Amino acid sequence: MRKLHFDPRTKLLLMIFTILSATLSPSLYYASGLVLLIMLFGFACGKPRYSLLGALTYTVFFALTILTRDFLYGTLQTMLIAFLGLVHKVYPCGLMAGIMIGSTKVSEFMTGMHRLHVPRKIVIPLAVMLRYLPVIREDWGFIKDAMQMRDVSPSLGGLLAHPGKTAECVYVPLMMSASKAADELSIASVTRGIENPEPRTCLIQIRFGAADALAACAFLLYFIAGMAVRGGWI
Amino acid sequence: MIEFRHVSFAYPGQSEDRLQDLNLTISDGECVLFCGRSGCGKTTVTRLVNGLIPHFFAGELTGDVIVDERYIAKLPMYQIAEKVGSVFQNPRTQFFNVDTDSEIAFGIENEGVPPDELRLKVDGAVKDLKLQKLQGRRIFSLSGGEKQKIAFASVYAMNPDIYLLDEPSSNLDVDAIEDLRKNLIRIKRQGKTILVAEHRLYYLKDLVDRIVYMEQGKVRGIYTPEQFLSIPAVQREKMGLRAMDLHSVKPLPKPAVQALPVLDIRAMALYYKKQPVISGINLRAARGEIIGVTGHNGTGKSTFLRALCGLHKGCTGACLWDGKGMDSKQRLKSSYMVMQDVNYQLFAESVEKECCFGIKNPDADIVTGTMKELGLYEYRNRHPNTLSGGQKQRTAVAVSMICRKEILIFDEPTSGLDFDGMLQVSRLLSRIARGGKIIFVVTHDYEFISAVCSRVVHFDSGTVQEDFAVNQKNLGKLQDFFILGQRRDDIEGAETGQKNYTEIGRKYAYEAKREESNWSSAQMGGKG
Repeated sequence: MRKLHFDPRTKLLLMIFTILSATLSPSLYYASGLVLLIMLFGFACGKPRYSLLGALTYTVFFALTILTRDFLYGTLQTMLIAFLGLVHKVYPCGLMAGIMIGSTKVSEFMTGMHRLHVPRKIVIPLAVMLRYLPVIREDWGFIKDAMQMRDVSPSLGGLLAHPGKTAECVYVPLMMSASKAADELSIASVTRGIENPEPRTCLIQIRFGAADALAACAFLLYFIAGMAVRGGWI
Repeated sequence: MIEFRHVSFAYPGQSEDRLQDLNLTISDGECVLFCGRSGCGKTTVTRLVNGLIPHFFAGELTGDVIVDERYIAKLPMYQIAEKVGSVFQNPRTQFFNVDTDSEIAFGIENEGVPPDELRLKVDGAVKDLKLQKLQGRRIFSLSGGEKQKIAFASVYAMNPDIYLLDEPSSNLDVDAIEDLRKNLIRIKRQGKTILVAEHRLYYLKDLVDRIVYMEQGKVRGIYTPEQFLSIPAVQREKMGLRAMDLHSVKPLPKPAVQALPVLDIRAMALYYKKQPVISGINLRAARGEIIGVTGHNGTGKSTFLRALCGLHKGCTGACLWDGKGMDSKQRLKSSYMVMQDVNYQLFAESVEKECCFGIKNPDADIVTGTMKELGLYEYRNRHPNTLSGGQKQRTAVAVSMICRKEILIFDEPTSGLDFDGMLQVSRLLSRIARGGKIIFVVTHDYEFISAVCSRVVHFDSGTVQEDFAVNQKNLGKLQDFFILGQRRDDIEGAETGQKNYTEIGRKYAYEAKREESNWSSAQMGGKG
């Protein structure tokens, strides 16, 4: 499938619709419809693997919820329903955020934010943060090796068997590398003029297109439909 | 023109080695090298020019730094950035975008260059620096050297008058250093002013006009290359400097290893995602050997060492210890890798606790003894993160000794180290080897190999290409690999033929070769 290119501002708008739809979701089926919609958007953005995996994981939660609702009772049911209720509100937003971050280039993001007149003081730290995420993934590779050599298993089993020790092995090196990486990233960006107040240009032209309009309409309509159900109009 | 007028600077809390009364004028088109021991103040000098001092690093600053009649302290960072381009040590955290094209455009995008010109300038930089192969790639899939090239291109596209390079070669292999040298020749021909702070000096031999030697924050001497080259080796080593002419560095005699081989690797082949990375490795090693592992990045040497440690799955062939087979779990138990960035492997809140970490009923005598042996005893209550790079490295070594590991692997232990630092690592390795361990050390450092390795295993084209003793007889082989800069001087076109990357090797370079980070940059704040 050919991947579509969305304007970073559109993605931000879709994110807002997603948050609204998820928080005001009238039913479980509505929330799962939202996840399906986000999955389709993920496909369009060229993130099929991530989107599919995200949707499948959601299916597990969905099934759990149905089972809890129909076959459990008492305190356990109340507890689980409360927890799962939260999952259904947060999960779609998380999935959407993942697609957004994964498919937006830092320079695009900055240019988009600049067009929206978001002050640099907010944009620059956000950009550094966006850029820092993949560093963590690289770090994790090293840390995993280091843990194995010290006979600490870097797996879920290891975490359950020795929660304290395993957590320590992950966060201590991660903290060390985070402070260093954040400093170096900031230095690399200020020495290349990231603070320039003049309008920033971008190699990749960002502009609204048909795809943006289509996606925005789809999410807007879905949101309105949710409101309608909630208001009892349908 | 860059002028330093009575410049003094101290980082907050810095009492020793502060920069004192620097007076220097650098004219346009000059190439100046700042050298000296770690912490001598050479990095501080570069930061004064690119404005990181005082705009990013606060501290006590007196005197003036003036670039083309403008005071750096009074210019905003983005205006300095248009004049002064900076390339740093750690390629991993120097890029801001995820794809190469956007990264090259990053600086000029910030300048607000019109979109149609952006493309032209990016293409121009790509063409000049011969980066066509790297266009449109994901930066995370590049090797350290390739990342460094992209960082350089991004600055090049901005076309600054002054280039600042702060230990640019620390994380690079021989080929990448050679490419860096070519890029420097190019900008020098364009009449740019170049300031380099470096430990490795050899690749700058034919480039620099002046060499500024610093010690404890003061300029101790200014040399022309001729004067500098005539400094006798003994004197140079006393100054804590690496060799500028690698030809003059000869391997030191090593004690002969008499023991019979205990480690026996037979027909080992390694796969990554079912694709062969390297094959046909046959290797025997005896206790007390220090084996240098060389080869270009992406030739699979790190994969091999990770497999030797039992960290890499997807490995066929046999690995015997004393005649008995070792599977990957047993190898994990008996071997230890000291990573290039040691910070990843230190977990506890004190050196002593680090030494006992993860061991059931640690033997207090052994722990104390090991700490004493490695000179860590007086730091036993310190947090590992407050130690110097060398001390951290020794802590990791202490851990391996307490865990009774037999095979030790060092991943580029001397990157970014001055002569003293390199010597200390050499002594450490010799001492462990005398204790009967087998040591493998991945390195791109010719001086270090000459000082400590008894043998070199050279990886190329997906296998062990050569395996020879480091001695006078094999000097030619060694120098051929390491000193290509001087040998292939200005042979245009030779640069592409030299590389033996395979596409899979390249991909793997990112996953397995986690080489780009470097502990010495962890001390950024404290380092002068």
